[in-house]
Amino acid sequence: MTRRVLLGTGAAVVGGAAIIGGAQLTGRLDDVADAVGLDPKPEPDPRDNRLVGRAGASAAGLLATLEATVARHPTMALAPLIDLVREQATAVDGGSAADAAPVPETPEEASRALEALFSSAASDRATDCGRAVSPDLARVLASMSAGLAQAAVAVRGLR
Amino acid sequence: MTPADALQAWLALEHEAVWFYPVVGARLDGLRGRATTSFEAHRDTRDDLLARLRDLDIEPVVAALAYEVGPITTAAEARTVAQRIESQISAACLSLVGLVDGDTRTFAVAALTATAVAELTWGAEPKAFPGLP
Repeated sequence: MTRRVLLGTGAAVVGGAAIIGGAQLTGRLDDVADAVGLDPKPEPDPRDNRLVGRAGASAAGLLATLEATVARHPTMALAPLIDLVREQATAVDGGSAADAAPVPETPEEASRALEALFSSAASDRATDCGRAVSPDLARVLASMSAGLAQAAVAVRGLR
Repeated sequence: MTPADALQAWLALEHEAVWFYPVVGARLDGLRGRATTSFEAHRDTRDDLLARLRDLDIEPVVAALAYEVGPITTAAEARTVAQRIESQISAACLSLVGLVDGDTRTFAVAALTATAVAELTWGAEPKAFPGLP
């Protein structure tokens, strides 16, 4: 099982549904899904769709905040964490623009703020993992949570 | 794979970690404190897994007398092996996450986070998706 599984069970189906627009997905994606290049997949549970959306919005917000932080504090070595969050955002279709959180005045304060944001996001993804219906989505959310927890530790190390 | 299979696979790795970290602490003074912390964490997880399997009336896999982990004569070698063990445990936790729900899923997610963070303390870089290939 790879992270690509999510693209086959969660995000891609969500993305496919958005592309398809008003088409109703009943049980399996149909010929319309094939027409947009998706393999037929079981219809995701609506609750799972919401969890994917929450993960995407969270990742987009984190990415915006990281980019705002590095713009204000260019000496902070945030590139690896930006890559990490961008990879997560891509997996859960979090490509939409999002508002950045306010960036504190000093790098140390900014590091503390980012640590809090990463920790909160890690906790949210862990909670959402417990709610996921799809086993693959549960795994991806759990893995995202662990990656965000790593990021919280890493950003603490910048102080 | 059944949930019991996943628990057993995870337990086998915890046995290896519980064997490995005391060896590191004994051989490498500079890593003794970190190795002790990791040993205690994995010992607790091992004991939790043993209890969960016994609650399911399943005989837990037993530990080997020793494990072939490669050389552990330098700090760099120890860090490499530690990262490999923590990474494999992350994957084992993640396998279980998709097979169970409720308390057991919560337990697996918490353990995944703990082992992913431990991997960092042994020198790994943060990853977007710990435990996934």
